[in-house]
Amino acid sequence: MKYAYFPGCSQESTAEEYNRSLQAVARRLEGIELVEIPDWNCCGATPAATVNPDLPHALAARNLAIAEEMAAAEGTEMEVVAPCAACYKNLRKASHVLRDDPEMLARVNAAMEGHQLGYAPTVRHPLDVVVNDVGVDNVPVAKPLHGLKIASYYGCLLTRPEGGFDDPERPQSMDRLMTALGAEAVDWAYKTKCCGGAIYMTEEEISFKMSADVLAHAKAAGANAVAVGCPFCQLMLDLYQPKLEAIRHTTFDMPIFFFSQLMGLAMGLDRAELGLEKLVIAPFELLARTVDAPEKSTKPKKKRATKLKKWGEG
Amino acid sequence: MSQQGTVRLGADLSPEMQPIGEMVALCYQCGTCSGACPVVAAGGMDYTPRAIMRLLQAGMEEEVLSSQTIWTCASCYHCVVRCPRDIEITDVMTRLRNVALRKGYKARKGKVYNEGFMDIVRAHGRVWEAELVVRYNLLTNPLNFLKLAPVGLTMVRKGKLRFLPDHPQGRAEVRGIFDRLEGGVR
Repeated sequence: MKYAYFPGCSQESTAEEYNRSLQAVARRLEGIELVEIPDWNCCGATPAATVNPDLPHALAARNLAIAEEMAAAEGTEMEVVAPCAACYKNLRKASHVLRDDPEMLARVNAAMEGHQLGYAPTVRHPLDVVVNDVGVDNVPVAKPLHGLKIASYYGCLLTRPEGGFDDPERPQSMDRLMTALGAEAVDWAYKTKCCGGAIYMTEEEISFKMSADVLAHAKAAGANAVAVGCPFCQLMLDLYQPKLEAIRHTTFDMPIFFFSQLMGLAMGLDRAELGLEKLVIAPFELLARTVDAPEKSTKPKKKRATKLKKWGEG
Repeated sequence: MSQQGTVRLGADLSPEMQPIGEMVALCYQCGTCSGACPVVAAGGMDYTPRAIMRLLQAGMEEEVLSSQTIWTCASCYHCVVRCPRDIEITDVMTRLRNVALRKGYKARKGKVYNEGFMDIVRAHGRVWEAELVVRYNLLTNPLNFLKLAPVGLTMVRKGKLRFLPDHPQGRAEVRGIFDRLEGGVR
């Protein structure tokens, strides 16, 4: 299946490794092809609606209209895939609004030159595609992630507003993926608490408190790494982790992986394709004593993984 | 949903606030939103979301539009998924920010950040983080650059900062969208 891929601004800068690892993984997954939407524009993030309520829908409409043109040229249906949780939410919301509100559709089409939106394609997150189109058991695992205890962090916009691919209060898709990759999925209370990324620039202190809470809970639950599907969550928890440690007078020492990087690791991809070197909290020591350690030393940990898995199923 | 039939608590909202008032007419003050809010938990709101709902019902728009809360809302939708009255609280906050900007309420940081962000998108078609950071800090607190320097260096070292903006070919089209939208963007 071909998908119209909307990378989003962060995937070209702060989260280049997300883009790189996701594309590398997608190339190896059967039946998945990500075709970049040519000449895409910014989704408007949160500021667009503050400045003008119609603006996020109009900015999304141009991207969705180009995706429609791609699909027409291919002669097939094409859903849009957006890896950034903020882009995903903006495009998804716009797609719903523009399908239901002909007046809004007319307004944004009147504001566009060169493209016109018709049916507004469905918008999906790559985690949704992996879990529901590929299936977690069809991910070809070559090197199970034994020893990694992953706190799957969904943050706010991966599952909210409601109506997306997973439960907004108790999502499981990333946990299921992590278990399928051979890691231990840690159960924890803060998986859907917001990191505060959207207010970082204007309200640094509040956002740091929010992010520190997330890491403290992941650590207390016994995780040794966090998996995310959003460039802002990753930036807040990784780049600013030393600051979060300073305000909490503690050490987290917690690598923050994009879920696509963990997929690539488990699939045995060349690590240069995964951009692990770009993580600020370097994961190499953790990987050396877990995933890359001789099988013997990981045995006791395997046992615990089975135990927790049972709870999850029951 | 009309406000007709609800208890009249105070003054009427001004015409541009009326649609926002209608969005919160069903609120019965359970406070679930405030309990779900991570910003409230971090001590970042002067009025809780529940209080904002009540102030709107009471027609006290001055308090609402000059509140810190509308600017510190992280737009995380946690209140929305838990609201038993299905009130779109996040959208209410966004609409309130929009009205506060248009009415010229004092919100220096919010104004510089939100309008600056969209100016950059208007100019380049995409966000250019480096310009956003420089512009925001120059206009709000230039001393902040000292504090930002170590993080900036880390970002440069890790190749996470673009020194030049991305320029999609269609950026004239994007600019056109800004210019043609009803009522303009400012």
